[in-house]
Amino acid sequence: MLSNAVINEIKQIVGVEYVLTTKEELLCYAYDSTPNAFLPDLVVRPCSTAEVQKIIKLANEHLFPVVPRGAGTGLSGGSLPVAGGVVVDLTRMNKILEIDAENLVAVVEPGVITYSIQEEAEKIGLFYPPDPASLKTSTIGGNVAECAGGPRAFKYGVTRDYVLGLEVVTPAGDVISTGGKTVKSVTGYDLIRLYTGSEGTLGIITKIYLRLIPKPESKKTLMAVYNNLKDAAQSVTSIIRQGIIPVTLEMMDDRTIQCVEKHKHLGLPLDAEAILIIEVDGPRVLLDSQTAEIAEQCRSCGARDVKVAESEDDRDRIWAARRAVSAAVVQIKPTKISEDVSVPRMAIPEMVKRLKEIASRYQLELVIFGHAGDGNLHPNILCNKQDKEEMQRVEKAIGELFQAAVDLGGTLSGEHGIGTMKAPYLKLETGEAGYAVMKNIKQALDPNNILNPGKIFWSDSNE
Amino acid sequence: MNKETMQKYLDRCSKCGGCMAVCPLYGETHVEPLVARGKLFLISNYLEGNLDLSCKMKELMSLCLLCKACTVQCPNSIPVDELVLSIRQEIAHEKGISFVKKNVFQHLLQNNGRLTTAAKCAYLYQQSGLQWLVRKSRLLELGGGDLGKKENLLPKMAKVPFRAQVPHLLPAANPRVKVAYYTGCLTNYVFPETGHAVLKVLKNHPLDIVIPDQWCCGIPALASGDEESAVKLAQKNIEAFQKAGVDVIITDCASCGSMLREYAELVGTPQARAFSEKVVDFSELLDDVVDFQPGEKEVNHIVTYHDPCHLRRGQGVKEAPRRLIKAVPGVTFREMKEADRCCGAAGSFNLTYYELASKVGHRKAQNINDTGAQTVVTGCPSCITQIDHMLKRENLPVQVMHLAELLSMTY
Repeated sequence: MLSNAVINEIKQIVGVEYVLTTKEELLCYAYDSTPNAFLPDLVVRPCSTAEVQKIIKLANEHLFPVVPRGAGTGLSGGSLPVAGGVVVDLTRMNKILEIDAENLVAVVEPGVITYSIQEEAEKIGLFYPPDPASLKTSTIGGNVAECAGGPRAFKYGVTRDYVLGLEVVTPAGDVISTGGKTVKSVTGYDLIRLYTGSEGTLGIITKIYLRLIPKPESKKTLMAVYNNLKDAAQSVTSIIRQGIIPVTLEMMDDRTIQCVEKHKHLGLPLDAEAILIIEVDGPRVLLDSQTAEIAEQCRSCGARDVKVAESEDDRDRIWAARRAVSAAVVQIKPTKISEDVSVPRMAIPEMVKRLKEIASRYQLELVIFGHAGDGNLHPNILCNKQDKEEMQRVEKAIGELFQAAVDLGGTLSGEHGIGTMKAPYLKLETGEAGYAVMKNIKQALDPNNILNPGKIFWSDSNE
Repeated sequence: MNKETMQKYLDRCSKCGGCMAVCPLYGETHVEPLVARGKLFLISNYLEGNLDLSCKMKELMSLCLLCKACTVQCPNSIPVDELVLSIRQEIAHEKGISFVKKNVFQHLLQNNGRLTTAAKCAYLYQQSGLQWLVRKSRLLELGGGDLGKKENLLPKMAKVPFRAQVPHLLPAANPRVKVAYYTGCLTNYVFPETGHAVLKVLKNHPLDIVIPDQWCCGIPALASGDEESAVKLAQKNIEAFQKAGVDVIITDCASCGSMLREYAELVGTPQARAFSEKVVDFSELLDDVVDFQPGEKEVNHIVTYHDPCHLRRGQGVKEAPRRLIKAVPGVTFREMKEADRCCGAAGSFNLTYYELASKVGHRKAQNINDTGAQTVVTGCPSCITQIDHMLKRENLPVQVMHLAELLSMTY
């Protein structure tokens, strides 16, 4: 699809060694953390904004798709080259340019691994809260592009709550800066929010200003076991009514608990309907009274057992259950379709009920865990991608699962993004008019449909 | 591993990318084909018929340190290193291995007489002034690439192999355990001082020591995909050690040790299983089997410890060496950052991919130096070669030694 002349021009821009052309290498950029893969025509590894800009200009000249990619750990297909073209791998742009302790801002390139920003900030007592599960691997550029969340989101918010400014190469090949080191900025439209979560369809992010906050002094962890899922949801509400906002409220359903116990033998109760892992953070002097209060609330809401971690070992043991989930559930079947619907918190029990009903109707293995504080659930369907008939049932179940979330006042995606995986269902939530607004923005900014075609707007290429 | 088993493991990969956080090669390059999930995807594509065993495939599959970091952290327990070895074997079958490797694995390593002669030739090259001349004249740099630097990495050969310097039977007065010492090729031909240190430490404990006839453990052949040569070597060693009739087989080399433990599966006979079950690392012998009794001499060093991949992950040995170091009178122990991250040696990886291995080694050298230690101790001669080279290359004031050498300094 790309002519040799174009490939040579790209080689001139970034240097021969940073252009990958063999089928073997291209295959390694065909996938992300979804079960899908599409072969790109070329992989380019630029090291500067100027190089990215030149590639975009060339793309407009020769009309080839450009797919920005960080670490390729997305869960919605955001970095998959569904229409072929050039994958722009941004992992060489991986410098932390500045940690400004005075203004509480980090300035970073998009290829920096999120965890390194946290490490650097914590060295001087600062804190970057968003913590997607992939944080030791995923890049901050990818986190911003997909607006990644994480367990700490209920208290601290998601990636968009920490982006103060961006440098972006637009689909036309211009470089713009929006926002910067100020906390307040209302100069025109809020482009930062537009680009955050734009999934690489509106521009390539080349520099990011992130808000940092002081690091909480300490944390404390509890685990509560419930016979009844409703009681777990009620506990969360009761805790918040006491004026306590836990940093994490991780929930595991009965099937998840059974899988983990079978795989790891941690002594989890096989007859429990739900487990909550609750963590509070803040000044050390407050935490003991807060954990006592939380334990009390959990018990009075019907928890049959509450364990408070008294040591780092205790804390490790509690989190071991949550950490084991991923490995445990794939023991059932190898392919894991991980969804991330969000519903209002009090709708969690009803959503779980409907999810289980859908799974049983389609005879599918389903485990549900997630973030009980913000209603962001991770229903995971375990299947085998080689089994075509089963995959069709999965497809149907997913459609119904999204419908259920929307019916309960929820959303298709809490933190993974739409990408390709949820694109066919977008209108369920946006409606025709909402879809049209988004589509108009895309068409206005990227008339040649250069950037990440086939994402969000499923039928782009056919329309 | 047969193709069905391979496919079963490959199907488990969810491409979560957890391997990217721990892979030393990905850490330095950020290139996806070098990390486990990339390699697994390529192997999948080959098994499904979408990909040939091309030269590129051969190159990419050889770009793995086999350090097991990804294997250990994989949430879905995929034995990545075994899959890479399996595909290397497949490649070796289909495309053959290089003429030099073939000769080394199938002839030189199978015959101790010839191997000793080869080692002697290398010694003569280094001693005769020829090496001096080659280095001085920068002759190797004419060949282009890193040949000059690589030649520097080649260890200095011993004049007489270690096993020719010592008796093969060292009985104790009241022995508790009969131990066979598997010396490994590096100790035998390059680091006889390590061998002497091992014996010195062992002799201070109630142990009968035997040094049976022995051959290369076979790991270089296996790592290059030549399983047949590896099995032949394994059989020779199993037979020789069976004759010695010992309770325990020790080794001072992490790589050899992990390979010797693999014999059970590689060869599959009851004799092989009996052999593998007896293998323990030098440090485990002193920590678990007998109670380590240090001598009275103080060693006033600040010491840090590097975990060889094949000891920490290959054999699950973590605390024994640390406990032994801390038991040495006078020593101050300081843990380094990323102590169990590969040093980049990986057998002959550091010769084949010198620049890449040096990037991995640079990180190790910096982590060592950051502790402020004067001495870095480890349990694998291959790591010692690489770490020594990196410390010298970066002019860092740290010396590297085998655990046995540190312990022997107390007597």
